[in-house]
Amino acid sequence: MTSAGPTSGTRRMGTGAQDAGAQDTGPRAAGPVNPVSPAPSVPGGQLEDILPLSPLQQGLYFHALFDEAAPDVYTAQLTLDLEGPLDADRLAAAAARLLAGHPNLRASFRQRAGGDPVQLVHRRVEVPWRQVAGVDPERVAAEERGRRFDLAWPPLVRFALVGLGPERHRLVFTNHHIVLDGWSTPLLAAELLALYTGEEPAPAPPYKEYLAWLARQDRAAAREAWRRSLAGLDGATLVAPELGDGPAGEPGRVRARLGEESTARLTAALRARSLTLNTAVQGAWALLLAQLTGRDDVVFGGTVSGRPPELPGVERMIGLFINTLPVRVRLRPGETLSGLLTRLQAEQAELLPHHHLGLAEIQGLHGAGRLFDTMTVLENYPAGTAVTEIDGGLRLAGAGGTDATHYPLALAVTGGRAVSLRLDHRPDAFSPAEARRLLDRLVRLLETAAADPDVPLARLDLLTDEERALVLAPPEREALPPEGSVVSAFAAQAARTPDAEAVVAEGLSLTYAELDRRADRLARRLAALGVRAETPVAVLMDRSAEVVVATLAIARAGGAYVPLHQGHPPDRMSWVVADTGAPVLIADRDPGFACDAAVLRLDTPDGAAGAEFPDASDAGAGTGSPDAPDAPYGAAGAESSDTPDGAEAQRPAAGTDGEPAQDPRRARIHPDRLAYVIYTSGSTGTPKGVAVRHRDVLALAADHRWAGRHRRLLMHSPHAFDASTYELWVPLLTGGTVVVAPPGELDPGRLRDLVARHRLTALFITTALFNLVAEEDPAAFGALAEVLTGGEAASPQAMRRVLRACPDTVLGHVYGPTETTTYATYHAVQAVQAVQAVQAVRAVPGAAAPPIGRPLDGMRAHLLDGLLRPVPPGAVGELYLSGAGLARGYLGRPALTAERFTACPYGTGERMYRTGDLARWTADGELEYAGRADAQVKIRGFRIEPGEVEAALARHPSVGQAAVVARSGHLVAYVTGLAVGPEGGSPGGSTVGPEGGSPGAPAGGAGAAGGGADPGELRARLARTLPEYMVPRAVVVLDALPLTPNGKVDRAALPAPDAPASGRDPRTPAEERLCRLFAEVLGLDRVGADDGFFDLGGDSIAVLRLVSRARSEGLEISPREVFARQTPEALASGTPGGSTGREVLLPLRAAGGRPPLFCVHPGAGLGWPYSGLLRHLGPDQPVYALQARALTEPGHTAPSIEAAALDYLERIREVQPRGPYRLAGWSMGGLIAHAMAVELRGRGEEVALLAMLDAYPGSGPGVVAEQDEALSGLLAAIGYRGSGEADDIMAFVRAHGGRYATLDEPTLRAVHRHYRNGVKISREYAPRVFDGDVLFFTAARGRGAHAPAAADWKPYVTGAVVDHAVDCDHESMLNPGPVAEIAALLRKELR
Amino acid sequence: MTVNPFEDPDGTYLALVNDEGQYSLWPAWAEVPPGWTVAFGEDTRQACLDHIEANWTDMRPKSLIEAMGEMGE
Repeated sequence: MTSAGPTSGTRRMGTGAQDAGAQDTGPRAAGPVNPVSPAPSVPGGQLEDILPLSPLQQGLYFHALFDEAAPDVYTAQLTLDLEGPLDADRLAAAAARLLAGHPNLRASFRQRAGGDPVQLVHRRVEVPWRQVAGVDPERVAAEERGRRFDLAWPPLVRFALVGLGPERHRLVFTNHHIVLDGWSTPLLAAELLALYTGEEPAPAPPYKEYLAWLARQDRAAAREAWRRSLAGLDGATLVAPELGDGPAGEPGRVRARLGEESTARLTAALRARSLTLNTAVQGAWALLLAQLTGRDDVVFGGTVSGRPPELPGVERMIGLFINTLPVRVRLRPGETLSGLLTRLQAEQAELLPHHHLGLAEIQGLHGAGRLFDTMTVLENYPAGTAVTEIDGGLRLAGAGGTDATHYPLALAVTGGRAVSLRLDHRPDAFSPAEARRLLDRLVRLLETAAADPDVPLARLDLLTDEERALVLAPPEREALPPEGSVVSAFAAQAARTPDAEAVVAEGLSLTYAELDRRADRLARRLAALGVRAETPVAVLMDRSAEVVVATLAIARAGGAYVPLHQGHPPDRMSWVVADTGAPVLIADRDPGFACDAAVLRLDTPDGAAGAEFPDASDAGAGTGSPDAPDAPYGAAGAESSDTPDGAEAQRPAAGTDGEPAQDPRRARIHPDRLAYVIYTSGSTGTPKGVAVRHRDVLALAADHRWAGRHRRLLMHSPHAFDASTYELWVPLLTGGTVVVAPPGELDPGRLRDLVARHRLTALFITTALFNLVAEEDPAAFGALAEVLTGGEAASPQAMRRVLRACPDTVLGHVYGPTETTTYATYHAVQAVQAVQAVQAVRAVPGAAAPPIGRPLDGMRAHLLDGLLRPVPPGAVGELYLSGAGLARGYLGRPALTAERFTACPYGTGERMYRTGDLARWTADGELEYAGRADAQVKIRGFRIEPGEVEAALARHPSVGQAAVVARSGHLVAYVTGLAVGPEGGSPGGSTVGPEGGSPGAPAGGAGAAGGGADPGELRARLARTLPEYMVPRAVVVLDALPLTPNGKVDRAALPAPDAPASGRDPRTPAEERLCRLFAEVLGLDRVGADDGFFDLGGDSIAVLRLVSRARSEGLEISPREVFARQTPEALASGTPGGSTGREVLLPLRAAGGRPPLFCVHPGAGLGWPYSGLLRHLGPDQPVYALQARALTEPGHTAPSIEAAALDYLERIREVQPRGPYRLAGWSMGGLIAHAMAVELRGRGEEVALLAMLDAYPGSGPGVVAEQDEALSGLLAAIGYRGSGEADDIMAFVRAHGGRYATLDEPTLRAVHRHYRNGVKISREYAPRVFDGDVLFFTAARGRGAHAPAAADWKPYVTGAVVDHAVDCDHESMLNPGPVAEIAALLRKELR
Repeated sequence: MTVNPFEDPDGTYLALVNDEGQYSLWPAWAEVPPGWTVAFGEDTRQACLDHIEANWTDMRPKSLIEAMGEMGE
């Protein structure tokens, strides 16, 4: 509290209509200003008026109620510095008269019984006035701001007069925004000073008149206007999405001015086009925001005065009018700046009559919640405080104030001879330097608007010279990539180092000269088979030295190699061969698919392999003599797959006698000719072949970064994966060695072995494998000079581990699409630092990861916005790449090529590749990856266009729409039109839980009924044409796909599928049927016979659905059987003598290697709800539920909590004879678990865990209330509103379903009786002290002010009571959301 | 998010061509970069793509076509 100086005092002055004008100085009294007693009840006679709230006041009122503990961000303050002789008492009296003159300043705010808030205008209020001296005025101001106003306690204004010296004072006026806005305060200050001098200012019209005006407004029309204004808006515009809109302390502030000359020009330009300064500011802000967020449809808050001009005297009224309303600006690329401003002004004018609606209501209309987190205000408050000379030498020396913004960015602009701008920013979102840059950019925009208002938006340059220099920097090395081809480059290398090791594989090593000769011989055979310049040659080969030979040979023959992915379905490989029109397929096996190409088998003894390895003619000095033993060309090894009988290839060889037209080694290959074609997923439904030139491969291989370290490279990527370009050509064209990894998957162990055995110096590894090695054996890279990784969003943790474990290894982070030849950018990871708080707040995906770096030699990166303008550092743009490495395009797909390889504005006749990746420039000119602009995903490093999978799904006759997304590293498909089950819909008679079991009306589509496809069949069908990584892991059938306001599929709103099942296949028809039913109910495409219902995500509601679905098929199973048996296997076996589901000790899961967890039933006596824990605790955690004896022995009533505890102890010792024990209990079960724990400790047993879920000790009314509330809550939750008598409840439950609908009548009666008894014995329970700790879970919702707390257990526990608040109410603690949270913490304790 | 300037289904476009006979889809509102000329449009996106599909029959750059012709390839 205040540490007031000697002259301090506090007084409250009566004021009111009747004593207006009285010089009442009131009694002086020390002590706090606000009494802490509850708000007074207000006798009617003291009230002058009862008024409704304006929509804005309602918004603030609910805001204040919502978060009572936090500082109120709607506390505003005005300070006046007064110099000269001051009569404090006179000023205090003036303050009192001020309040007397303005009824709305005497208002308090209450809720009527029905919930509607009202403002009560009190006749008399005490004016909070305090006087202090000799203290820091800033501190006083801060104290005044820090004290919350209680809206029920008028007035919501207060004064503090701080004496600073003999004739220097500061008056601090603090108010709640609900009674006053920023326009009103200067008016009020002027009036106060006038009253001080004895003037009687003309009374302003009362706020009440505004409220009456409001009541006359057409609210429906306003709602419609706002709805129209926001129509089609696709999401919010947030600059700091991670921040809530809570308070964040004092905002940071930067200021700027537009020079007088610029201001004059701007004013003239605007006037000439009938535009206002406010429009210019809003337009400029929209452009800035668009660039900052990468959106072309932005929303921000615009502050309006809210004073309706048709209301007489409105400009002098005191109260809350000001409103912050969404300003939505759509950028049209073809528009000019003035065009945008003109349109914006017209759009805003439409909304002018509708400014009275509250923001909350408008946001509610759009339905997407918070729409913006930035705002602008044009400060044109009346200059009421212009008066400086007040009275008798007293003068106003200055005024200030705070109206703390809670927006991450708030722009305030003041007009005048020189426009001044202030950007308030939350320091936890923007650094002062960032805010400064933004404001500077805004000033430049306004200067442009002044100088060249008709500039097309696309030419509007927002960059400073330094920024431009940074983002348009030339490539690090401008050096021209070498001219030539891989053939000439390899030949030159082979000539330089003929005896160096070129390829090593298991048991084989080839020198450059040897490789040269072998490739040459194969090239001649290819030439003989018709391979010419640019002829595609398909390759289907395992990783081997031969694949290196074949690749080089194809190039040498002039062809382009087309590697096929071995794992792909035959149909897809066949399609690729046909798409390229390859006349030859080189294979090391029977390809297993039909194609028109001649198949050149390298594995048959009479084919190439026999001839090539070992090669007797290596001694022949590589002349490539036509007499070499592999002639005649095109014979033995080549066969057409059309002729499986092994007939000779049908394609005639070019050279009739096997002599190629020319020596392939000497053929000069133009650098622009194709080297290879690699296929990637295509969004339009078919794969596309990226056609890469020789020039591109040379550019990659010649990058300066590889020199020195990349000598002995591991080749382990699939040939059809573009990393093979690096693995193959970097060593072969630079004199290094290709080390071929043996076939099979690479794992950390094999990797370590290969590195050591082959003295590898570098390798590329996909992100997924890198992360695995980092996890298991980070030192495995230790002997390498460099490890490259990339392909997916990097894990900073994994990188940190590797850097720590391998101090001598360079870690290269690479990025690049196939279209720009494997790698486009590179970043040497030095240290993965903890991300600065400021950065973390504006996190874009991957922001915490190291940058992807700078472009490779000769390549350029352009980050462009939606208008194809370069974005400044820090802003997200789409990445375009130009220069070296840019492929020719997509083979045979001109239109697709023209869409992605587009004209480049930064060169002459040059092209750039549109990557679809988002990125940002760092301040150092490096690129940071920021996600995808489209739907493309990566699964295990494989690039996938969901559109291709969607197209494949849609080809199925029974599929309506399909959407495919990646979730946790797997694809998930969502389809409509598929019948959920053979029944289609749910027959009327079945009982389905209210929580949404019924699929509703059947779609009625013939497709649904006719298709009969199920998700499993659909997946099988996809697997015939798509590679395994493109086949969705799960197929979820939906009634309809969720859509965004724009009518596109809302991918974010697609539900998560449940965990996939992994159990064994069903063996009997009964098992099969149950597996299918499980899968249907749980929305899975497969369930194994031994998969547990709850392990797969089932809950008690799903049990009901299962039972009713089964019943509709004539299969009778009861819910308790599902609880007791859980798996299709157990249910199908129908083992007699199994569980009844009602026994005292119910094994929810008996199996598992860990010590069991025992969970004690809540008041109703049933332990079933604990089944929700199973899935989250893991399959090796046994869980037992203890249930009330009343369920099996109807006559039984437990005499006390202790008696129940002793009873249950006997039962758990049958399962676990000795401690340590692990106990948990919800509600009343917590009391019993506590009593059990006390007893166990008394017997010398250990208790490793005592977990209590919202259970409280004490015999007082609190417990009874809690139990009663729980019961009524329980009944309310299922919709029961009846008398509470058992018969009535049961009738309702049976009719309406729900968790308790699964009980037969005797059980239900037992539950009810048990509940009553439970309340009684809980009240009587006098806990003893438990020697140990308690893990407590508080149900944080719906807690009354005097609700018992976890700390109430302190007297009954020797150790700690660790409390976790769970965001749910008491009754829903074991519902799916909360139970996952609770289980996660339990799991930690159980490990 | 932003509609990419090359992906606006309602936008109008051009088909540009450079000296190498390579085509590019191009938004009609954007300045034509140096070294490119308008081959078709302005028209719908699909019409421009159709034009390109019909006219860009040999995707090799012109200089390569010539070079390969000289070499008899």
